[in-house]
Amino acid sequence: MRRQAVRLIGLVAAAALAAGGCAAEQKAAGGGGSEGAAGVTATTVKVGGVLTKTSASGYSTKDAEIGARARFQRANEAGGVHGRTIEFIGAEDDNQDAAKGDAAAKKLVQKDRVFALVPVHAPNFGGATFLEQQGVPWFGWATGPQWCGTKTGFGYNGCLAPQPGAGSQTWWGNQMAELIGGSAGKSVYVQTSDSSGSKYGGKTISQSFEAAGFKLVGLNSGLPAAAPPPDWLPYVNKIMTSDGGGPPDLVVSIIAGTKFNVGLYGALKKAGYQGLISDATSYDAAILADPAIAQALEGVIAAPMFEPFESQAPEIAQLKADVAKTAPGTQLTQHLAIGYWAADIFLKILEQTGKELTRERFLAAANGSFDYENPGFGRIRYPKDHTEPNGCGALVKLEGGAFKVAKNMKCFDNVPLK
Amino acid sequence: MSELVGYILSGLVTGAVFAVMASGLTLSYAATGVFNFAHGAIGFLAALLYFELNVGLGLPAWAAGVVAVALFAPLLGYLLHRVMFRGLAQAGETAQIVGTIGLTIALPALGLLVVDLVAEPLGLPRADATSLPRGLGPYPAATYAFGAVRLDSDQLITFAFAVLAAVGLWAFMRHTPYGLRMRASVDSRGLATLRGIDVDASSAMAWTLSSTLAGLAGVLAVSTLGLDSTAFTVMLFVSATAAVFGRLRSIPWTFAAGLGLGVVQNLVAGYADFAEDVTGLRTAVPVILLFVGLILLNRSRGRIAGSAAEDAPPPDHLADLPPWRRRLPWVLGLVALLAWTLTRPADDFSVSVVAQGLVLALIFCSFVVVTGIGGMVNLAQASFASMAALTCGWAFSSGLPLPVAILLGVLGATAVGVLVALPALRLGGRVLTLATLALALLADQVLFQIDEFSNGTIGWPLPALGLGFADTTDPRVRVLLLLALIGLVGLLVRNLERSASGRAVLAVRSAPAAATTSGISAPRTKIMLFALASGIAGLGGVLFAISKGSVTATDLPAFSGFVWLAVVVLQGVRRIGGAVLGGLIAAIFPELLAGWHVSAHVGAILFGAGGMILARHPDGVLAQLGEARHRRRTRGDRAAALRRETPAREGAVPAVQVTNGTGHRPVTAPPRAPAVEDALFRLEGVVAGYGDVTVLRGVDLAVRPGEVVALLGANGAGKSTTCAVAAGDLRVTAGRVVLDGADVTSWPAHRRAREGVLLAPEGRGVFPGLTVDENLRTWLADPGPVYERLPQLARRRGLAAGALSGGEQQLLTLAPALVRPPRVLIADEPSLGLAPLVVEQVFEVFAELRERGVALLLVEEKATSVLELADTVAFMRLGRVTWTGPRAEVDGARLTAAYLGVS
Repeated sequence: MRRQAVRLIGLVAAAALAAGGCAAEQKAAGGGGSEGAAGVTATTVKVGGVLTKTSASGYSTKDAEIGARARFQRANEAGGVHGRTIEFIGAEDDNQDAAKGDAAAKKLVQKDRVFALVPVHAPNFGGATFLEQQGVPWFGWATGPQWCGTKTGFGYNGCLAPQPGAGSQTWWGNQMAELIGGSAGKSVYVQTSDSSGSKYGGKTISQSFEAAGFKLVGLNSGLPAAAPPPDWLPYVNKIMTSDGGGPPDLVVSIIAGTKFNVGLYGALKKAGYQGLISDATSYDAAILADPAIAQALEGVIAAPMFEPFESQAPEIAQLKADVAKTAPGTQLTQHLAIGYWAADIFLKILEQTGKELTRERFLAAANGSFDYENPGFGRIRYPKDHTEPNGCGALVKLEGGAFKVAKNMKCFDNVPLK
Repeated sequence: MSELVGYILSGLVTGAVFAVMASGLTLSYAATGVFNFAHGAIGFLAALLYFELNVGLGLPAWAAGVVAVALFAPLLGYLLHRVMFRGLAQAGETAQIVGTIGLTIALPALGLLVVDLVAEPLGLPRADATSLPRGLGPYPAATYAFGAVRLDSDQLITFAFAVLAAVGLWAFMRHTPYGLRMRASVDSRGLATLRGIDVDASSAMAWTLSSTLAGLAGVLAVSTLGLDSTAFTVMLFVSATAAVFGRLRSIPWTFAAGLGLGVVQNLVAGYADFAEDVTGLRTAVPVILLFVGLILLNRSRGRIAGSAAEDAPPPDHLADLPPWRRRLPWVLGLVALLAWTLTRPADDFSVSVVAQGLVLALIFCSFVVVTGIGGMVNLAQASFASMAALTCGWAFSSGLPLPVAILLGVLGATAVGVLVALPALRLGGRVLTLATLALALLADQVLFQIDEFSNGTIGWPLPALGLGFADTTDPRVRVLLLLALIGLVGLLVRNLERSASGRAVLAVRSAPAAATTSGISAPRTKIMLFALASGIAGLGGVLFAISKGSVTATDLPAFSGFVWLAVVVLQGVRRIGGAVLGGLIAAIFPELLAGWHVSAHVGAILFGAGGMILARHPDGVLAQLGEARHRRRTRGDRAAALRRETPAREGAVPAVQVTNGTGHRPVTAPPRAPAVEDALFRLEGVVAGYGDVTVLRGVDLAVRPGEVVALLGANGAGKSTTCAVAAGDLRVTAGRVVLDGADVTSWPAHRRAREGVLLAPEGRGVFPGLTVDENLRTWLADPGPVYERLPQLARRRGLAAGALSGGEQQLLTLAPALVRPPRVLIADEPSLGLAPLVVEQVFEVFAELRERGVALLLVEEKATSVLELADTVAFMRLGRVTWTGPRAEVDGARLTAAYLGVS
């Protein structure tokens, strides 16, 4: 009996080994290059995106498609880039599933034959390895480490998940310090949830505030990652006693999901918290629709990584005009802005590549000291920003049920991540 | 100190939601035997409806709550009972698990799709991450201080409703006839039917109630959880922990465990800072408790050691075909696939989709081993694949050559498989399934969160696999390689089934105790199966990673393991073909849907519909196809086959029919007994059996009011089967059952019981888990007169019937008949295993019933005592009544003839 088992296991192992052979470099199969540049004709450049349009958790970045479409439409109406119009075939949905994202990237490249992927805005995007192998450029929001260190993944505001030693942002802390008139003697408490991604965010952001001179009195990653806790009491208790037995001056929440944040802020206010609250996700006009939510979030300082829609900058007026033309009546959201600016940067590189367009030439242009400033997102430099964030951001405050620009887009120097 | 008190109080309040949800879970499991993985999904649907009514249509919160909880949830439960759960209760365990998992995926998708469709025209808010549902109370919630603890109105309302639900449920179960019937059905389903309880109706009631509780929990929880179906599934897992601590039986214990979980979560959040360095450990506390609870509290009693004997394999419809004809469709398919693959270009998208499907197929092969052959349901298969892929990536990145890394990955998964198998040795059935679920979640939440192992969210890159002439960046090479590997696994599986170890596996699966006495080591067999299956899953996982070029911890989440299982079982989990088909479908189907621009929700819904199909055809698509093929082939020669079949001679071995009973009619013409004109209850030419085996081959019996008919015969003559047919427990294939001139053949058992045909089954006809008093109440509105007649029962009225002596149990079985005499009483071996004094007492009861005009049919193997009482005697042999006549004509010679078969 035991010998049988051993033999069977041995067989499986042998099968594995037989299949093993040797390692070969993952490389582009066949050739997009042989038949001319993929997705490029004399008059068109074909692009498509990958978004998390639907997901089990309800998180959706689908508005990025509208943003990109609006930007491309303006470019096309201006005659395209070097005589080529952008043929935007829309975006695939990855359901926030890495394997589906990989399949979507393969479909776009192999079946739809796109030149580049714009916009890619999916927190669990799984197609990075494939695109890097194939040398296909992809543009979007680089929230995950799969973007960083690649030659083909272009985050519109750089790589937001730098490796230790690479540059990490300080703008959030600095902007906040400028807003409240200096950071001296001010304490900050950072709340994240219990997953490696969220913990990593907590590390970079607490470093940002420390770099700006704040005193970090707590970095807690106790919140369950999967669903909001039914009871906020233990978490709020910790916050309310973190600064020498009292509450901190500022609480920064690195939790995705309005539900989490509303729960946390509601519980904080219930416990009598009077200080400042800041987070990265509350800049969302949709939450204003519910007066009680707006009330729960009243006073929150959100930190968008693009120029707020309330800004007077001409670039924002242009964005609004473009969107109004492509999709009248669309509510402006963070995801829309990300799609828009990712498309904008893609067009800029396309322009700099010149008339003769192949992926190799495009990547050479992009990764050969590309430097582009725009008040909409600050500035972007490649290849530097393949490994670190662009270091720019703005602050928006929810006051009297409406968002107001607290600090316009501004860039600060990164510091090495510990 | 006050902080601690605060955590405990506040935890009790929040635990209330778990308690409500878990009670529903326990209720439906205890009442129907189906563990409902979709319980959370039902809660989500109710919450979704509540949200749309309240926030979308502006209904007041209480009204929306009433509609969602008191109207929608019960209806949904009833509907699911009708279309699915009713069928599932009879299906095997695998089908049950897969069916409800299918629902978990389909129900939320259905709700979200409907909202998507009607949101525009009706101006409803969409249900996504931004939607913020409100609680039942005032909005925004008012806050009250209780000492150091501050609770808001929503929390208080939740607690109040939970207490109300608990008290209501308790009162319903303990103090209403419906509750009694439900508990009786749980205690002994078969007996409940014989007592006139419509078991189906009480299942419907259980599902309706359970669904209402899920809806209540959903509506109460939605203001904190948000409209996130994953969060509801997580809540279900937490509730499952509470249900497990209630041993899946006791609602009060489940309720208490739910409250306790709320407290534990608060204490962990408040004090377990030491666990901060291990990411996910605190999140995983309920899962860890679930696992511990399963190991400590829930040894499967009915079915030991993961065996699932009633998952009998479907008849092999193609058994009579020559091997080449059986394999022909597969060979043709393979040739077509190869021809197509080799004519496509190297970067063809469709080929890479097929290759992806074959990777999944390879992983799915592991289900064939562990579930198809071993009969154990393992929900951790995705974790094995993930484990192997991550190990391989880690090993390769630390500088080991790729083949060694692959081997390490496969061995790693195999080792984990053995570790998982260890608890499986003690657990069986659903408990094992839940344990593998807990392990899968634990791997996701803790093990794969360790950065050193999974390299954070970035994962490990992996090179292509070089085969000398080509490498796996070419999808065509992947297709060939995978086909070869699947072929290899197929051979392995075939050898396994045919070898000594395969027979050992089957032995352990169908009768663990017998297998052990035959010297087969059940634990070793199970460990081997688990190891083999996880090795295959690991190999698949490694190939998944290699064809993707990298692996991250989130590539193969635990939940995909559930989906996979469902896909494979839908195709047929007993054969490699099912796995291959399942893998291809899993990869190709979503591509097709996306190509047609169909909402992803539709795919999920179709998938759930698969679960419903499974409720009807638990053996999957392939078995269905085989049956169809068989039917086509046999349609022509069925008539001939019937003509060939001659009436079985007496003494012949009962013919085993090859058909599974569809349309099969035996042609034996039973000899008619002399008609008894004034009979109250008659069996006329009854033919019946179990499955393909015919036991009764034309039985005629008649009982008059006030007459005792003794049915005698040797062991195996068909006496108990006759009883079952008479009571309606077993369907007849031919013949009639007549009660007072009316043909009652088609009546179910509970209806016959209500019309006065009472069967006291072999052994003891009592509900062991109910008290004496409750036992009597299943047949009598007021058990008072029984206590006057039988004071020894009166003294034990509060005791569980299972604790009575054998004689007392038999009296308890017959006692209700004394107070409310049935028209026909059938007693199967009433004197079996009783002391002579008690037997005397029992026969006194029969004599009294005869005086009161009851028609009695007494079945005995031992003739002496019953012959003293009988008016008429019938002898049975080999499924027929061979002689019927008055008691006076029975002598020693006849008895000898009847028992020994000499004439």
